[in-house]
Amino acid sequence: ENREAMLNSKSNRLTEALEEANRLFDGVCRAREAALDAQFLVIASNIGKEKANELHSEMSAFDSTAFAEDLLTFMGINRTEVEESDDSEDVPGGFLPSDAWQTMGEEAPKYFRRAPTFHYMMGSFKSEPPVPKQRIERQKKASRGKAERAMPAQLKKMEESHQEATEKEVERILRILQTHFENDPNTPISFFDFVIDPNSFARTVENVFHVSFLTRDGLAKIKLDEDQLPIIEPIKPSEGGEEESRAGARNQVVISLDQKEWK
Amino acid sequence: IPRQVSELVQFLLVKDQKKIPIKRADMLKNIIREYRDAYSEIVKRADRTLQEVFGLQLVEIDTKRHIYILINNLPRAEGEYLCRGKEKEKMGLLLVILSFIFMKGNSVKDSALWEFLHLLRVYPGKQHSVFGDVRKLVTEEFVRQKYLETTAIPLTDPPEFKYQWGPRAEKETSKKDVLNFVAKMQGKDPTFWASQYSEAQTN
Repeated sequence: ENREAMLNSKSNRLTEALEEANRLFDGVCRAREAALDAQFLVIASNIGKEKANELHSEMSAFDSTAFAEDLLTFMGINRTEVEESDDSEDVPGGFLPSDAWQTMGEEAPKYFRRAPTFHYMMGSFKSEPPVPKQRIERQKKASRGKAERAMPAQLKKMEESHQEATEKEVERILRILQTHFENDPNTPISFFDFVIDPNSFARTVENVFHVSFLTRDGLAKIKLDEDQLPIIEPIKPSEGGEEESRAGARNQVVISLDQKEWK
Repeated sequence: IPRQVSELVQFLLVKDQKKIPIKRADMLKNIIREYRDAYSEIVKRADRTLQEVFGLQLVEIDTKRHIYILINNLPRAEGEYLCRGKEKEKMGLLLVILSFIFMKGNSVKDSALWEFLHLLRVYPGKQHSVFGDVRKLVTEEFVRQKYLETTAIPLTDPPEFKYQWGPRAEKETSKKDVLNFVAKMQGKDPTFWASQYSEAQTN
């Protein structure tokens, strides 16, 4: 209590209180009273420190009200217009524009050495379960928010090297091919139908790349059908041995596909 | 070891997104794990990568509890910053608060701070159009990010707090910069405030 009164720099009340405490202490003979005295000293020294602080700022004449006014000016306050609000008791009049703090926000970073926040440029990678002939979407910013919260999971994904990612893709494509063939064993799939992603040229190229692995490893074969269009079908394990021994097994096909053709 | 270094670099960059300081314990648990002995070497190399590749620096702000932050090593560039709007506005508010604290002798009571913010139409009890729950922003977010430090004033009832600069503020800006800001706002020379000026010089 009386804290504010003591803080007043013009008053000597703090000194008086200290002197009284000194006198009272002479009569102290119980520990509890001494503890009270110690408590009082703590409060008194805090008040003393605050008073000293007040002195300090007065010496260097920092006027926080003037500072506030200058800040408002900087933020674009319009003092000729009066704001219709209910809390203008002791707030100086004037209309503060809605981009006031944005203006301050433009100035502020100049004074900080803040590390820019790190974000992945392409969003995070997420593999969806394969569905044939349906486009697989690249993860956009929306689910990057999720990735932020599941941080350890994201880090685990980063640990996969490129090597493994490619292998996984190849496996996935093989499985799609095989599934399709199980359902319809006598119709090989048109190569183009298989690899082309109608929405993404880059994805198409990736698919061709992965399919090439399958043929290289002897897991799928590409032939030309009646119309000289390439078709693709998986190789059953039993056929594998035969294929290798045949002279014509090492055919190379160069397929060129550019964006115009793709469209 | 090089793999641990790059993993640590990525870990630090992602952890820094929320600007909450990173604990050494987390680094050890998630990345370094079995390579504990090489810990200081890994950290040293990670710091070097951060500096040379990203222009950032890993700084320890608490040597007892081993807590780190990332700061920008590069000199401030002129021109527009690519931050999202909200971040910059919060920095604006923070700069204003830090200036107030410094000019008032490095420590202010919470009542004094809110009284000052009141003048800027920022109220602790009222939702702000830009900052939302300002009390939460100041007392929780800025404190957790170590921009501000709040300590209870003993034996006050109801409890009062005082605010000072936090360790992140100490590293990311300086008294000199902040004084220059005040001087710019008030259209005066920094030397106008004699004791703050000399304090800023020695800092």
